[in-house]
Amino acid sequence: MATIIKSYEPTFWDKLYIPALVKGLMVTIKHFFRRKVTIQYPDEYHIPPEGYRGLHRLNKFPEGRIKCVACEMCSAACPADCIHIIPGPSPWDEGNERYPVRFDIDLLRCIFCGFCEMACPEEAIELTEIYDFSDYTREDLIIDKDGLLEVFELTKDQKYYSRKNDSQEPQK
Amino acid sequence: MPLLKIDDKEIQVQSGATVLETAEANGIEIPHYCYHPALEVVGSCRMCLVQVEGMPKLQVSCNTFVGDVHPDRKVDGKYDMVVHTQNDLVVQERKNILEFLLLNHPLDCPVCDQAGECYLQDYSFKFGNAHSRFEENKRVRSNEYLGSQIVINHNRCILCSRCVRFTQEISGTSELFVEARGYNTKVAALEEKPLDNLLAGNVADICPVGALLSTDYIHKNRIWNLKKQSSVCQDCSVGCNVDVFSQTNQIFRLTPRENHDVNGYFMCDIGRYGFHRFEEIERVTQPMIREGDSFVSFEWEEAIQETVDRLKRAGGKVAGVTSPYHTNETNFMLGLMVDGILGNLSQIDGEEINYPSGFRISSDRSPNRNGMNDVCPGNVDDLISDIDEQNIRTIYILDDGVDRDFDEVWKSILSKMDFVVVQTYRMTMLAQSANIILPGLAPFEREGTITNDGGRVQWLRPSLPIKGESRADWEILMMALKALDNNAQIFTDVSQVMKKMGEKIPAYKDVSFFNLGDKGLSLNGIASK
Repeated sequence: MATIIKSYEPTFWDKLYIPALVKGLMVTIKHFFRRKVTIQYPDEYHIPPEGYRGLHRLNKFPEGRIKCVACEMCSAACPADCIHIIPGPSPWDEGNERYPVRFDIDLLRCIFCGFCEMACPEEAIELTEIYDFSDYTREDLIIDKDGLLEVFELTKDQKYYSRKNDSQEPQK
Repeated sequence: MPLLKIDDKEIQVQSGATVLETAEANGIEIPHYCYHPALEVVGSCRMCLVQVEGMPKLQVSCNTFVGDVHPDRKVDGKYDMVVHTQNDLVVQERKNILEFLLLNHPLDCPVCDQAGECYLQDYSFKFGNAHSRFEENKRVRSNEYLGSQIVINHNRCILCSRCVRFTQEISGTSELFVEARGYNTKVAALEEKPLDNLLAGNVADICPVGALLSTDYIHKNRIWNLKKQSSVCQDCSVGCNVDVFSQTNQIFRLTPRENHDVNGYFMCDIGRYGFHRFEEIERVTQPMIREGDSFVSFEWEEAIQETVDRLKRAGGKVAGVTSPYHTNETNFMLGLMVDGILGNLSQIDGEEINYPSGFRISSDRSPNRNGMNDVCPGNVDDLISDIDEQNIRTIYILDDGVDRDFDEVWKSILSKMDFVVVQTYRMTMLAQSANIILPGLAPFEREGTITNDGGRVQWLRPSLPIKGESRADWEILMMALKALDNNAQIFTDVSQVMKKMGEKIPAYKDVSFFNLGDKGLSLNGIASK
């Protein structure tokens, strides 16, 4: 059954166009007085909300031993197949007898789903708030164990970007 | 024959069969730890408890036998025994037993090498409780070496005593025993006699949990990363059936595969750790032709053409040398190429070892001497007389990469030759005296059949990818045959060579991959079960 749609007939008030103009301008004026959301990025860093899934890190115990036991649960859970681990006997006397000799993450393959940190039985792998880790070559974007431990040192206080913002020179 | 009823299934069984065996044969799962088909039954783990009607308590199914009962005492008028494996009582009992077993278990699956093939893991997941009520401290002990290759983690041990019974019954060496009582019980090795026999590696396989570990595999990889390929051990003429576990181009471990006609459930440590020999060898991966004192790499076409030119120049007067390490198909192809003037490389001899259980390590450490003699018979003495009589100056040798000390006989043979073709995968003494080296495959890359000393043909399957420019040994011979004679048959697959071999050699007429399967084919015409 056909539906008859009547087109809207503008009234005299509509035909003046001034009220619509004012209404539109009101939105602009309202936002003019609101808090700014634009960030001057390289001079100022956006602080991601809690739970943001960025660059990975490998956690350490306070005494310096690496938490990872190379169980390869993360690489088994990884849907992008980007985690490559070579296990070996750990060099420490205390604690678990197994640790990762190599631990490589291909950041170009990674889809940052966070399955690895969910699968980890030792709470060793975690995704941090770091989002600016671009580089020039593919090889440089494969992060190894030392790199992941370095990320831990950078992010263990959870204030990576606020620290960065504080250390920035105030812009004129 | 007694009629047994397990759950809803009615089964006719032989009198004297156990409930556990019957259930397993009929696809009913009864969890168990201490029971192993090759070992004496002890019934110590209590995991296989089932309810038998008419018996006051739950019974261990591994040690409960089915027998005929008096017609008046049959259950429901016809069953000799009625067993329940799934009712509430049994399910609750399994939960309780698992709770006991897990009291002192560290639950360190992420660190444990058994994870993924651990019965404690599987059964806890399937039958156990999700939580433990044990609030006290767990008993913690440090790892100990039982022998040079076996380490025990006492925390994970559930004291099923499979390993202890193995050393008593299978290897007959009795190094292991259960020490102390109660809370302090542990498996230990005699101080003056550590677990260092040639079957020691098996205790790590039969351990249902991760307590006994082979130092060779510990902390190397995870079981789910590895590709499992059923194959045959190539370290002696017994031909134990094995599973080869590999990842990309590296072998991580070998485990025995059940075959009652050959090796039962076990294998020896010579074969188990034998794959390490091939890890760091200097491979020949390019066809090479001698120029002066050195070798120069060539393309396959050129190398084959050079070989064939020389073989044609010899005018059919070419000697062939087979090897007891190569597959039947490779040796057979060499037989097609040379006209009856055949010799063979010697076998490597070792010590013959017999165990009380019947397990055997043959003194002949080459895997396929029997098959070589079947498909391409020849011996060195005949070869020498043939060479002298017919004035042969060209020889084609299938080398097997084994370092041999050449005696005077071989030195005199080689000195008489103008042209030596050696097909090999590494630079042996023999290869160094060659004029042309054609790169073949290393043992774990080969495919084909080998015949063990009991006359059983078994399927050797490749577990590693082919390296470099190497080609399958039968394929190299086929290329040479084709270049020699344009009417020669082309084989696209090793199974076609097998078929051809069956046509020429009556004993091998039934040999095909389909007939061989996992268990092999006895040449007496009796296919295995």
